[in-house]
Amino acid sequence: MRLWNAIKADMLFQFKQGFYFVYVFVAVMYLVMLSFLPEKIFLIATPLIVFSDPSVLGLFFIGGIILLEKGQGVLTVLVVSPLRTSEYIIAKVLSLGFISVLAATAITFFSGYQQVNWFVMVASAMLTSAVFTFSGIMINAGCSTVNQYLLKTIPWMLLLTLPCIALVGFPGSWVFTAVPSVAALRLMLGAYWGIGWVEALLLIVYLAGVNFLLLKWAVRIFENKIVFQE
Amino acid sequence: MIQVRDLNFTYRKSGKKVIHDMDFEIEEGEVFGFLGPSGAGKTTTQRLLIGLLKNYQGQIRVFDRERSKWGKDFYEQVGVAFDFPNLYTRLTARENLQLIGAYYRNRITDPEELLDMVGLLADKNVRVENFSKGMKMRLNFARSIMHNPQLMFFDEPTSGLDPVNAHTIKEIILNLKKQGKTIFLTTHNMTVAEQLCDRVAFIVEGKIAATGSPKALMIEHGKRVVKVEYRLNGKQVEQDFEMNDLGKNEAFLNVLKMAEIKTMHSAEATLEDIFIKITGKTLL
Repeated sequence: MRLWNAIKADMLFQFKQGFYFVYVFVAVMYLVMLSFLPEKIFLIATPLIVFSDPSVLGLFFIGGIILLEKGQGVLTVLVVSPLRTSEYIIAKVLSLGFISVLAATAITFFSGYQQVNWFVMVASAMLTSAVFTFSGIMINAGCSTVNQYLLKTIPWMLLLTLPCIALVGFPGSWVFTAVPSVAALRLMLGAYWGIGWVEALLLIVYLAGVNFLLLKWAVRIFENKIVFQE
Repeated sequence: MIQVRDLNFTYRKSGKKVIHDMDFEIEEGEVFGFLGPSGAGKTTTQRLLIGLLKNYQGQIRVFDRERSKWGKDFYEQVGVAFDFPNLYTRLTARENLQLIGAYYRNRITDPEELLDMVGLLADKNVRVENFSKGMKMRLNFARSIMHNPQLMFFDEPTSGLDPVNAHTIKEIILNLKKQGKTIFLTTHNMTVAEQLCDRVAFIVEGKIAATGSPKALMIEHGKRVVKVEYRLNGKQVEQDFEMNDLGKNEAFLNVLKMAEIKTMHSAEATLEDIFIKITGKTLL
């Protein structure tokens, strides 16, 4: 019940801060851009956009949200409420994941992309968003300004995105699937270009496991740097 | 309700020891004031009791359990109002209460009733970003008591409030005391402490310098004299009379009979006088 209330609270907060509006605008911009692309590039660009969208959203929006909550002093109030740190973090991940899924679905649907595996696409958008949101929470825990956050985010962003190049394929490139962002992109591409059920299931289970570990890690960092700040 | 024994605390990063061998107890239903200048250790002590700082030495027992053993359920029974407003500024007053209230198991007081209590009912649908500091502080205060906690921590509860609203908040605190709630109040406002607290502790440089009821301390450290200001034969006179055997003091009785009395006061010390006398420091 508390977790559900936290999710509703986050959605209300994100809506009032104008995050949803920004997202509708971004999604429309993507759709306009996609509509100008030739068929061949469109087929490659759509899944890449749908993948990059929750990544950027997760990483940058979570930074903004936590900095806003810190600035308004709300984090202090949540810390002295019965809301558990894990519930606070899960609510953030699910609420941002929800926007990601909505955006991914809208972009895919309105772009007119044919033959999409919707289940895999939704799972991939949710799991990708979670990986990047957890990362954003861990980066943000020690930051007090937007500049600090942006500076700390860049190396993480590179660390998570550069290995995705491995998906072009070269000997031994499958090893890079261990990087959560690569696994997530592999799953996303599979949703659009086709993927076997076994591979999809393995990737989903792997990403769910990674997210579980990231949750544990994020709770620990958040408690050390925000709850018990000395 | 709260027992603190041999409490010591050092900030790990700075290595600065800020709490030294602190001992005190707070009974259930008591309003306990923690008084001291900025940097004395009031907020650190409060943060230790609330559970926002760990790794202390000594004992802090709250609700008959060591503070470090409590989890998040602790906050079901505890209300905290900090000395700065911490609210969702894009949400309305009512939304702020509903949103945080949803995290408690206890049934929360009706937000409209709470807003009415602190004089904000007319502004229930106004976004907090449009509130003055005083309005935000009142909303902060309302939020800290909405889940009907048994123990409350108020940090400078009347800070930033005009006299009328400060009076409203003080009345609410006295009403909570009547209901048997325990209140830990940190302030450097001696008038607030005198009006609200059953007992106060003076804290300086992380140590408790004195503890007692405000009344008892004021009498103990005051002069046993009556200060009389009167007009006699066209002259304005101020005179102190010993309290002992005042009814037999001829000079005093003559003044009562012959003079036009302007003012007459006992000369107990103010809490501020006592603080300065005991600690050699001022409060601000």
